Amino acid sequence: MAQIPNLDNAPINLISIREQSQKELINILKNIRGKKCLVIDPKLGDSLSLIIQTSLLKEHGVELRHLSADHIQTDCTKVVYLVRSQPNLMRHICSNIHHDESKGLQREYHVYFVPRRTVVCEKVLEEEKLHNMVTIGEYPLYIVPMDEDVLSFELDLAYKECQVDGDTSSLWHIAKAIHKLEFSFGVIPNLRAKGKASVRVADILNRMQAEEPVNSSDMVMPEINTLILLDREVDMVTPLCSQLTYEGLLDEFLNIKNGSIELDASIMGLQQEGEKTKVPLNSTDKLFKEIRDLNFEVVVQILRQKATSMKQDYTEMTTTSQSVSELKDFVKKLNSLPEITRHINLAQHLTTFTSKPSFLGQLDMEHTIVESQSYDICFDYIEELIHKQEPLTTVLRLLILFSVTNSGLPKKHFDYLRRELLHSYGFEHITTLNNLEKAGLFKKQESRSNWLTIKRALQLVVEDTDTANPNDISYVFSGYAPLSIRLIQHAIRSGWRPVEEILKLLPGPHLETKRGAFSNSPSFDSLSGVSTGIAKVPDGRRALVLVVFVGGVTFAEISALRFLCSQEGMAYDLIIATTKIVNGQTLVETFMEKLG
Amino acid sequence: MANVSVAAEWQLLYNRYYRKPELYPMRWKHVDLARHKVAGAPFGGPVAVIRDDSKIVQLHAESALRKLRLFNSAGHPLADAVWRHPGGRLIGMSWNDDLTLVCVVQDGTIYRYDLHAQLVEPNISMGKECFEQNVADCAFWGNGVVCITEQNQLFCIPDFRNPKPVPLADPMIDEPPRCIAVIEPQYTMSGNVEVLLGVADDPVVLVVEEDGVQRLGEGLLRGPLQKMVVSRDGKWLASFTHDGRLLVTTSDLTGIIIERECESSLPPEQIAWCGMDAVLLYWDDMLLMMGPDGDPVHYLYDEPIILIPECDGVRILSNTSMEFLQRVPDSTVSIFTIGSTSPAALLYDALDHFDRRSAKADENLRLIKPSLPEAVEACVDASGHEFDVSRQRTLLRAASYGQAFCSNFQRDRIQEMCKILRVLNAVRNPEIGIPLSIQQYKLLSPSVLIGRLINAHRHLLALRISEYLGMNQEVVIMHWACSKITASLSIPDATLLDILLDKLKLCKGISYAAVAAHADKNGRRKLAAMLVDHEPRSSKQVPLLLSIGEEDTALMKATESGDIDLVYLVLFHIWQKRQSLEFFGTIQARPLARDLFITYARCYKHEYLKDFFLSTGQLQDVAFLLWKESWEFVKNPMASKGSPLHGPRIKLIEKAQSLFAETKEHVFESKAAEEHAKLLRIQHELEVTTKQAIFVDSSISDTIRTCIVLGNHRAAMRVKTEFKVSEKRWYWLKVFALATIKDWVALEKFSKEKRPPIGYRPFVEACIEADEKAEAIKYIPKLADPRERAESYARIGLVKEAADAASQAKDGELLGRLKLTFAQNAAASSIFDTLRDRLSFPGAS
Repeated sequence: MAQIPNLDNAPINLISIREQSQKELINILKNIRGKKCLVIDPKLGDSLSLIIQTSLLKEHGVELRHLSADHIQTDCTKVVYLVRSQPNLMRHICSNIHHDESKGLQREYHVYFVPRRTVVCEKVLEEEKLHNMVTIGEYPLYIVPMDEDVLSFELDLAYKECQVDGDTSSLWHIAKAIHKLEFSFGVIPNLRAKGKASVRVADILNRMQAEEPVNSSDMVMPEINTLILLDREVDMVTPLCSQLTYEGLLDEFLNIKNGSIELDASIMGLQQEGEKTKVPLNSTDKLFKEIRDLNFEVVVQILRQKATSMKQDYTEMTTTSQSVSELKDFVKKLNSLPEITRHINLAQHLTTFTSKPSFLGQLDMEHTIVESQSYDICFDYIEELIHKQEPLTTVLRLLILFSVTNSGLPKKHFDYLRRELLHSYGFEHITTLNNLEKAGLFKKQESRSNWLTIKRALQLVVEDTDTANPNDISYVFSGYAPLSIRLIQHAIRSGWRPVEEILKLLPGPHLETKRGAFSNSPSFDSLSGVSTGIAKVPDGRRALVLVVFVGGVTFAEISALRFLCSQEGMAYDLIIATTKIVNGQTLVETFMEKLG
Repeated sequence: MANVSVAAEWQLLYNRYYRKPELYPMRWKHVDLARHKVAGAPFGGPVAVIRDDSKIVQLHAESALRKLRLFNSAGHPLADAVWRHPGGRLIGMSWNDDLTLVCVVQDGTIYRYDLHAQLVEPNISMGKECFEQNVADCAFWGNGVVCITEQNQLFCIPDFRNPKPVPLADPMIDEPPRCIAVIEPQYTMSGNVEVLLGVADDPVVLVVEEDGVQRLGEGLLRGPLQKMVVSRDGKWLASFTHDGRLLVTTSDLTGIIIERECESSLPPEQIAWCGMDAVLLYWDDMLLMMGPDGDPVHYLYDEPIILIPECDGVRILSNTSMEFLQRVPDSTVSIFTIGSTSPAALLYDALDHFDRRSAKADENLRLIKPSLPEAVEACVDASGHEFDVSRQRTLLRAASYGQAFCSNFQRDRIQEMCKILRVLNAVRNPEIGIPLSIQQYKLLSPSVLIGRLINAHRHLLALRISEYLGMNQEVVIMHWACSKITASLSIPDATLLDILLDKLKLCKGISYAAVAAHADKNGRRKLAAMLVDHEPRSSKQVPLLLSIGEEDTALMKATESGDIDLVYLVLFHIWQKRQSLEFFGTIQARPLARDLFITYARCYKHEYLKDFFLSTGQLQDVAFLLWKESWEFVKNPMASKGSPLHGPRIKLIEKAQSLFAETKEHVFESKAAEEHAKLLRIQHELEVTTKQAIFVDSSISDTIRTCIVLGNHRAAMRVKTEFKVSEKRWYWLKVFALATIKDWVALEKFSKEKRPPIGYRPFVEACIEADEKAEAIKYIPKLADPRERAESYARIGLVKEAADAASQAKDGELLGRLKLTFAQNAAASSIFDTLRDRLSFPGAS
């Protein structure tokens, strides 16, 4: 099974997007004749693994290297750098070229910026007096399809850059990416946004449409009906809670990277001792598609059932005589055996984590914080974690969750915990604390928290959640319904108007508009309709909603959205786009910065 | 009948008819072609005239200064300019493809004029050799020129868009060539121009290229050539031989196609191809048209003429008229030949009868019923070739009359032809004076025609035509706007802006920035600023704003656009242009620009960033930078631990601390920095006393742990008191440190020192984690909370004890969970079941 996901069942033609990106990359390589050394910045390389196979690159005479401060060992006289347009990456390129110069190596350098060349990167080359030595190009990769319903802009630092550095390049990138989608699928007529960044993206997107209009003269029905933009800032509670879906847990403990995980071969029951093996996780795997979004408890049961029924069939097969057609059925079932084995192995491996008292304790604490009942218990728990010098990310995750639900901590506690953190983990973490404070994630309390009101109004905590036969999205966190998805649920069902009062309690402005040729057309007046036929595209397919998370989304939230989609009476298909798929840990890590 | 009069004007050459309609009577006055050098551009282009300075002419009532005069094809004056150029005689003059007039003078200088007789700067020089040797003759083609010097050296400019003279190979001849012709680069094998020279007393043609000379036609020619001309497609060469014959050969002179005797052995003054199937020869008052066979056609002229070759004929310019000599198109022949009974002729005739209400119309139609579509098509086609509007109309009417009876004719053919004719008739108007034939129009293409019209400043017509043909009007409006700006120096900015906007808004997506850039080039910066404000594309707007010095607006627009790249563009621009302090002030007022500057400077301009923070009074940020720098000492390999280099490092941190202390809001940071400095000092001391480099850069907690692990309890205690470490933390640290070194005795002693402030949980956890059940059991009973006790027992596998504790806690949920933990153990799970039943709690899972 390949790591590149199968996109055949995508609600819009994602294959063409991927093929376009493939073609563009190949063209870049073709245009540079002969053998060449392709130096990719590692993070970009990860993203590219979802676009193109390495073997295909090699066919075009490419020697692959990762960009780092170390100079490049290659016999090729042509070096092609493929890097995201981030100034700090320029440093490596510069030191590479300077090294070659000092060794008297004559090489031809090409720098391709993803997704576009920028003044600031070129400035760095210019300051290093290298801009005349390199040929500069662009590789306009704005979107990477992660799965048949998930797109990623691959902007892992977007949230931190916006909140801490005030660098909003990512917002332009997102708008550009959506605008590019519109060139393929038509201007999206309805737009809903919540949060400062989202409203800004909407603004930039409208500007782009004014400057470089998508040709809507042919008046075809746009393939995407509604665009919902949501800031991560609006809901920082959800990503900090431990995800309890199968895919979510896999990510929490084993770190899903670009649709696959890497773990010891022995865990997967393979022979090679001590070696690592890569397991792709996407909807190409039928069984995974079936169970990825379920609560892990249920997954264990399903896997057990499957295994038992397999075993039963097998015994029947060996004890009684079977007709040929029955044999055939059995063989067909056998084909799914590798998948079952794979997931049983994974699930078993996961249970070693989930049964740990520390994990259960953490879950318990998360729920206590979300319930927002007993401040002191939470405070003591976190204090103790610090004293025990538990891993800093674990501590910060709970601490941020605690601070966010209380809209900050009283100054005394704030200063006390900060001091304890510095004492326990070292003074170099002052920058991390500073970042978190700037982003409003761990701060001094300035106003009363309205978390309780929000929680109650949106019914975020649901008692008696039946994880096996869920009737609400709260199953993904065994009782907590993610705030972000609740908002989207409202946005889809009835628009912002009915929840306006609650939206005002959440950070950032909100926006609801019509766009393009439809802005004045009364027939497109509302998206209100489960009952109305407007939502239905004539050919019987369901209308499509593009949900964009500015600042990242977790697997659990994606699962919750898929759950909404699968509900009866739902008039829409959803497609999810995000700056990056995150979890509590990776999200917190983007804010961590050591002074040293 | 009308038909007869049409065909009566035709001449038969061999088996083809030729006609020579007058396009215009020339509107000019007092132009005698005999006294002038004349250049006419193909495709109905303009005519340039200038007094020929190689002839002795009598000056009538006119200035001695020569004047270059430009006319359109109808003799309507376009512009003129006084010729005052030095450099000797004018050798040659010709229009190139983009209608620039190229004039070569004796010293090898090339002057270029546009349609408005404005000199196009810069002048081109053919090089030093031409200057020294003098240009004797030259030959032009669409976009280039070849000059031959008096010493018979050749130089060429292959392309006027890149006017670099290139020397050609030396033909090694002593006498000037009799005649010269060029084959355009697009028709040669090499892709470079080939120059054909007919040399005196040598029966060959020399082909001169950049890298060599070839002799062609040896054995084929019987004597030197006097005159030659290459056909439009570069395949054929028509030449006039020394003994008065017209010779048509392939252009590589490998075969003779036609050889005809002429009546004179005197070489003709002009020789030209008429289309592809006849050659024109002009002597003083006679024009001779020679075809492949049959008698030549004679035309007599009592005034001088100039032949202007076109793709489908030749225009004949005389003092009084402009004629167009062309082969009569087949469709026209089929309709108008005398006695023609072709379907088309009958259809044309039928219309005549119809108009006269004669029943013969129907008869005719019935006669040609099966071939009606061809007849209609022929009428449509013939109408396209007509210059006479009324005849166009009649032919089209005939076509439309026939079409009514014809079910399977492509209906839009007539409409299409009407469209083309409307355009052609519009540009043929004498005011405009572009007598394009339909074939020329198709070859030229509508967009080039529009280009020519706007170059001639016929913007309105160009706009109408492009609108009529459904073409993009942006080119026209853009050109108009720029010309308008150039021409309107006296109109105030605001008025001109309104005039411009009024037209610019006609065209969606037009680049206001480009117009603004033009205004700026014309020195109207204010107008430029007003125009650029209307540009919707920030990526075009911002760079222009910068170039006209509107940095603040540029910064504002860039910020609004949300495109960070543009903001950086402005940022670097201002940064370079302004003094530091002024720059700091500018960006401080703009949060986005400021943040981006900080982000960039953090990476690459550390010191400069400090200056910025100091100038804006953000002392705490300077402090952070200093604090960060203090770690650089660690990275530096010279700063080995325990060396005196800790001195400067601590100094930096202390400096940071004092900066933090400047503001009330940063008391915490100041305190932290102070503690950090203190910690480093203590760690340094510890490293000296223990002679182990393991302390520096570990945290306070880690330092305490290390001390305890090393058995240095006094030092640990000292750190604890120095930093006021709370009892709670102290207990955790010490318990875990003791467990690490498995000093269970010390641990127990520690537990008994006093009642631990946070109970015995640290002891239990440390023992369990170290997998020391026996030790753990010592402390579990001391836990206050029965639930904790139960869980701790469970963790070390003591089922019964766990169950007891749980039942003490009266916690059913806990019992259930414990049962799950022991799921493998049947005995254990029964214990839980009984206990839970006894407690009669509802089931938990």
